[in-house]
Amino acid sequence: MTMNWVTIFLKDMLLFQRRLLRLGYVLSTLFAPLLYLLAFGLGLGKSVALRGGVSYLDFLLPGLVAMSSMTNSYTWVANSLNMGRLYYHTFQIYLQTPVSPWEIVVGQTLAGMVRGLFACSVILVLGLVLGSHLLFTPVFILGLLLNGLVFAAFGVVVGLKSKSHEDAATFTNFFIMPMAFFCGTFFPINSLPWWARKLIFLLPLTHTNRLLRSPIWEPETLVSLALLAAAAALGLALSILIIRRYSE
Amino acid sequence: MIAITNLSKYYGNISALEDLTLEIGAREVFGLLGPNGAGKTTTIKILTALAFPSRGSARIAGFDVVKERPRLKPLIAVCPQEINLDRELTAFENLWFYGRLFRIPEISPRIMELLAWAQLEQRAHEQVKGFSGGMQRRLLIARALMSRPRVLFLDEPTVGLDPQIRRQLWDMIRQLQADGITILLTTHYIEEAESLCDRVGILNKGRLIALDSPAHLTARVGGYVVESVNGARRSYTLVQDREAAYARAQEEAAGVLIRRANLEDVFIQLTGERLSQ
Repeated sequence: MTMNWVTIFLKDMLLFQRRLLRLGYVLSTLFAPLLYLLAFGLGLGKSVALRGGVSYLDFLLPGLVAMSSMTNSYTWVANSLNMGRLYYHTFQIYLQTPVSPWEIVVGQTLAGMVRGLFACSVILVLGLVLGSHLLFTPVFILGLLLNGLVFAAFGVVVGLKSKSHEDAATFTNFFIMPMAFFCGTFFPINSLPWWARKLIFLLPLTHTNRLLRSPIWEPETLVSLALLAAAAALGLALSILIIRRYSE
Repeated sequence: MIAITNLSKYYGNISALEDLTLEIGAREVFGLLGPNGAGKTTTIKILTALAFPSRGSARIAGFDVVKERPRLKPLIAVCPQEINLDRELTAFENLWFYGRLFRIPEISPRIMELLAWAQLEQRAHEQVKGFSGGMQRRLLIARALMSRPRVLFLDEPTVGLDPQIRRQLWDMIRQLQADGITILLTTHYIEEAESLCDRVGILNKGRLIALDSPAHLTARVGGYVVESVNGARRSYTLVQDREAAYARAQEEAAGVLIRRANLEDVFIQLTGERLSQ
């Protein structure tokens, strides 16, 4: 007999598939990263010189892939749980049926990861069409998967702890947006002051960017993978704890 | 089947439920009656694993509602006040996903059986967002029955529905009672409580203020009501029998209405307020 997390995952995938058929939904999901890719990659990129002769498009594309994976994994889970809990009351079904907290978390998190992977695969294809070069190695794929896992798990935390839809948006503005801009998506973090670099080192997107830009096995890779795995474990553990203590 | 002992729930300094103690027998239809904010939904939330009590305890079929949730959940089902169906899924899909959470074998025949029971088999593969309020309510009850629960919680099952659909749902609830399901329903409709419930508990401001069968409760305040209308003013007098009602009516100069006492009169007698306030 199938585990309940599979049922939760399948339901979210069916809803995702239904929404994918709406053109407006797909466009709104991909609009921002595509805009960045075209404006920064093709426009600004021609007048930016990076060390080692790397083209700006080659620098930008992994960053945009990481950013899309982050925002889509996080947003899907945080919104679906927040709306499902506060407005549609569909989340409560899981609490009133024989489903364990970990099964809810695994089902929701995997659905968020798939959503993130879908969004970043569109960016990847477009970037490659525009002439960017990427190294698809196991480290690249592992980094991308861990990134989706981290942000989907924190999406569960925010989706369950926010008291309103605006509350969830506040977390996005103060946590997700700054990460998108300062963790090395658009410019190398070496150009930042030392204290900012120390701070940014603690943020997960920094390590995804590092893994996607230099996807080879080296000591720094292991550090980044370990930090992402630790962040994912923290997000998952917090999510399970919140569901166990959930009370209306 | 349900044993509640000194159950209390506080939100900060606000008391939503205060020392509720009652027992509900197997196959009984028990109604919690009270105005908005009386503590009805809070009680259901505690009994169905959505909220922890601040104090007290409750058991369903012998299982503690806090400590033994994994063993309790397969036995219960809930129809919440809000229609929490997945609007973008079809009726069939809603029941299918719900049924899988209970690991129901032979799931498709069970779904079709329940859709037929809810008179929705013709709409099985249509998205729920196109359904009327009454159809969604019927589907919600059908979904709750997927797991063949021993105890069914119906939180304001007919709120917002027109009288014809409401009566249709009452027939469905009577059928469930005949099938041997214990039902705890909340309502603020007098007629609903009187028509469906074996016993009623009246809640007001988180406290249980009366508990008995509808007939006994109304008999306690007097069997008849004499309502006299004088302009915009209405006054109510409770009397024991029809003869006393006629005698009282003759004393009134203005228009008079004699009717049987109902649970609203019980509530007014106990609290001095109307249920709908």
